[in-house]
Amino acid sequence: MIDSSLTSLGAKVVVATSSDENHPPENIIDGNTTTFWMSTGMFPQEFIICFAEPTMISAVTVDSFNVKHLKIEKNTSQNASNFAFVGEKELEHTDGHIQTNAVSLNGSSATHLRFIITSGYDHFVSVHRVSVQN
Amino acid sequence: MVKLRARCLLLGDAAVGKSALCHMFHSDGTLFQKNYSMTTGVGLLMKCVNVPETNDSVELYIIDSAGKETLVEACEKMWGQPSLLCLVFDLTSEQSFASCSHWMERVHAHCEGLHVPGVLVGNKSDLSARREVQGSVAQEWAESQGLEYHETSAKEMENCDAPLLGLARAFHSLYQERRETIQNLSPG
Ligand SMILES: Nc1nc2c(ncn2[C@@H]2O[C@H](COP(=O)(O)OP(=O)(O)OP(=O)(O)O)[C@@H](O)[C@H]2O)c(=O)[nH]1
Ligand SMILES: [Mg+2]
Repeated sequence: MIDSSLTSLGAKVVVATSSDENHPPENIIDGNTTTFWMSTGMFPQEFIICFAEPTMISAVTVDSFNVKHLKIEKNTSQNASNFAFVGEKELEHTDGHIQTNAVSLNGSSATHLRFIITSGYDHFVSVHRVSVQN
Repeated sequence: MVKLRARCLLLGDAAVGKSALCHMFHSDGTLFQKNYSMTTGVGLLMKCVNVPETNDSVELYIIDSAGKETLVEACEKMWGQPSLLCLVFDLTSEQSFASCSHWMERVHAHCEGLHVPGVLVGNKSDLSARREVQGSVAQEWAESQGLEYHETSAKEMENCDAPLLGLARAFHSLYQERRETIQNLSPG
């Protein structure tokens, strides 16, 4: 696995439901787990990652905190619309350290990935890094 | 600058003044309805509150739920997972105060183990001659439940901002606490 950040590969976060300007959604794809995006209340929460070009993805790894249920959708269009379900996972609660979870996406091609956090172990959750395995 | 969002349950016995308070929140105090019209389902009100001494604000999605016993069960389905609680009783009704612990139990069943900050509101403070619940007693019970206590009069527009500010402050400090925790996490 090449350990380069999604940002350096030209990806962007195009939508996020919450924003604290000190913890912006760009922190999700900067490859660094000490920076994070934090939700600012209520569920569901979501963010969408847009790739520079259609990308084959076998799995994604998500570093987060207090996320309980995560659902992932994708599309292959230029716009952030018409998403189709590709995977979901019930995450285990962790205490004092980050949750690291891989979700298999069956090697499909995508231009956008949509991450929907449907529930949490607390009122607020954070996402520290998303990386993709090709 | 952060904008927080909270789902706030507005609960308490029938006719304690929940909807009247809601009107005050909404119209900043121009619309008091003298005639009681019972809430039969749930009402939703969005109110943005600035947190004093910060640039941050909290959008409160206030869910005004029917207090009448026979309607509660149907309403509960719409409560969702609350972020905050605003529990109201009528200062002229000992019974409505006694019901508060019952409401707390109901709410807990929806919290999925999360700590939900809240306020206890003694409403109808204008009817001082008919008062049945002493402020000190309500205050003590509120503290035992981890709630902040306020007395209001929706009719006289007295102190109606205080519970909202209390709720916004409580949610804001919870956010700051959690952010602190997240900043100090060790890697997975
Ligand atoms: N004197 C006085 N009357 C009030 C006050 N607040 C509400 N009322 C009156 O109390 C009655 C009930 O008020 P509502 O706001 O409808 O009560 P509620 O808690 O929403 O009741 P439900 O919808 O049945 O659960 C109405 O007649 C109001 O005019 C107050 O501060 N002082
Ligand atoms: Mg009502």
